[in-house]
Amino acid sequence: MMTPFYKYGLFGDEVSLLVAFVLGLGFGFFLERAGFGSARKLAAQFYLYDMSVFKVMFTAIVTAMLGVTYLGWLGWLDLDLVYLVPTHLGPQIVGGLVLGVGFVVGGYCPGTSVAALATGRVDAILYALGIFAGTFAYAEVYPAIQGFVNSNAMGQVTLPEVFELPWGLVVFAVVVIAVVGFWGATLIERRFRSEP
Amino acid sequence: MTARLPDPPRTPPGTGAGPGSPYLNPYLAGMGLGLVLLAAFVLVGRGLGASGAFSSTLSWLVNLVAPAHAQANLYMQGYLGDGTTHPLKAWLVFEVVGVAAGALLSGLLAGRARFTVEKGPRVSTAIRLFCAFAGGILMAFGAHLARGCTSGQALTGGALLNVGSWAFMLMVFVGGYAVAWFMRWQWR
Amino acid sequence: MRLPQLTLNQKLAAVALVLGALALFSQPHRGPFVKLDARELALVVEQEVDHVKPSELAAWIVEGRADYRLIDLRTADEFAAYHIPTAENAELTALTEYPLLRNEKIVLYSEGGIHSAQAWLLLRAQGYEGVYTVLGGLDGWKDEVLFPVLPADAGPRDRAQFERAAALAQFFGGQPRADGAAAAEAPAAELPKLSAPAATGPAVPAAPRKKKKEGC
Repeated sequence: MMTPFYKYGLFGDEVSLLVAFVLGLGFGFFLERAGFGSARKLAAQFYLYDMSVFKVMFTAIVTAMLGVTYLGWLGWLDLDLVYLVPTHLGPQIVGGLVLGVGFVVGGYCPGTSVAALATGRVDAILYALGIFAGTFAYAEVYPAIQGFVNSNAMGQVTLPEVFELPWGLVVFAVVVIAVVGFWGATLIERRFRSEP
Repeated sequence: MTARLPDPPRTPPGTGAGPGSPYLNPYLAGMGLGLVLLAAFVLVGRGLGASGAFSSTLSWLVNLVAPAHAQANLYMQGYLGDGTTHPLKAWLVFEVVGVAAGALLSGLLAGRARFTVEKGPRVSTAIRLFCAFAGGILMAFGAHLARGCTSGQALTGGALLNVGSWAFMLMVFVGGYAVAWFMRWQWR
Repeated sequence: MRLPQLTLNQKLAAVALVLGALALFSQPHRGPFVKLDARELALVVEQEVDHVKPSELAAWIVEGRADYRLIDLRTADEFAAYHIPTAENAELTALTEYPLLRNEKIVLYSEGGIHSAQAWLLLRAQGYEGVYTVLGGLDGWKDEVLFPVLPADAGPRDRAQFERAAALAQFFGGQPRADGAAAAEAPAAELPKLSAPAATGPAVPAAPRKKKKEGC
């Protein structure tokens, strides 16, 4: 078991920050390549004439998921050591809804807003300022809402664990759903693009 | 406002993966992103993210201006730590700086980097900027409640089949589609 | 027969489906790191549901129950010299790779109780639920089952209990001691040869049983 390299002590904290920067480079590069430095393209997802957000996001998920599965199968990646954000269903469901609304109102998500402001989008700068303001407000009200924020704690759980299915089966299901979804998304795009 | 900022570069009406699109095939872009994410898992044992960097930066800023208040704040304490490490020396902060650099590189290569405001044809710049700001505030609440945004939760947690992440991802689409109709004047 | 020309996207979809289908056969890797629920484990220990008494174990063996796996954590030599009937030999370091099913009842014992307690924690940490130690280990087995002692001032109820224990001891080839001399034991009392009773089945199954996948 050799990876994750950092968890096996291959390099220390300082180098991991450098690694973070390099990974960020790749992340930002592909975000912009996909056109996600543009709020109009991002928001178009929710008007059904451009499903790129769905396509890119799920392709990335499927790619990384298959990678993790195969590397784990080969015995090269110890998945137990990859950090899984603990599940808190209540706040995550509410957070998702709020984030979705923020997406359509603001036109970005935090990652894409950084990509956009780097390429000169002034609205992305305002958006980022909004995130700062919102974070400040959140920090102020946090003591009052922390009960809710920490509710429904399920620990670090994966879909195979919760549904008591083999990992490989869930992976296969996700791939099938994604491919069918992409085909459907392309049909939707054509339908909504033909309208003026 | 001063002189009107130039319109963003014209893109063909079908901004998907067809011929004539200036953007990379979304599936190829997705694979690129997925491989970067996989590299993060293999190298560091964690995924990507973005919202945490904003929290770190904000906590650091507030600590500069009003240290007593920042250190007393339950949420910001988590990002300030015990004072032994600088709050900006955080993994996500370095990653997000990389995102900016990578995006700039791609934008320059494609000729898409210019000062402009992304907006639909029917809305004024001022209103668009206000909405962007408001969207950012909403986004902050959503991301901190969910402990991540689309990068950290949807992409990272999605690939790891994390239950909370999939629930979150579903809800993002639900929330977005629910209000899209009401915000269409901003984009169409 | 000519294959239809596939677009790039269709080729990508095909590759994804093939990889996804192949993933059906994948097995997640079990690394050496474990997650512990400290509170849950502390509760289990406090409620004393983490161990079985030697006499209980003896009763199961006599009844011929086959719903448990008894694991002896000592060395192979010690195991060969004497082991509790129906036991299998697996040292601590071999335990993580040992073929055990997650929903089996696993009973551990060692010489005294320390190694079995440690093995109990390791197995619990890896997600095995029905793990127990033999209270007192092999020492407890000797005291309670093989060489039960009748105290000098025993009353009728104690005597009745001793009779039952004595019968059990005979079954396992031990020696009940009615003289109340609890102190003088180990050198004099020889451990019974392993002739009776025979294990209820092969100690280690012929085909190694695969570990159940995570979460089942």
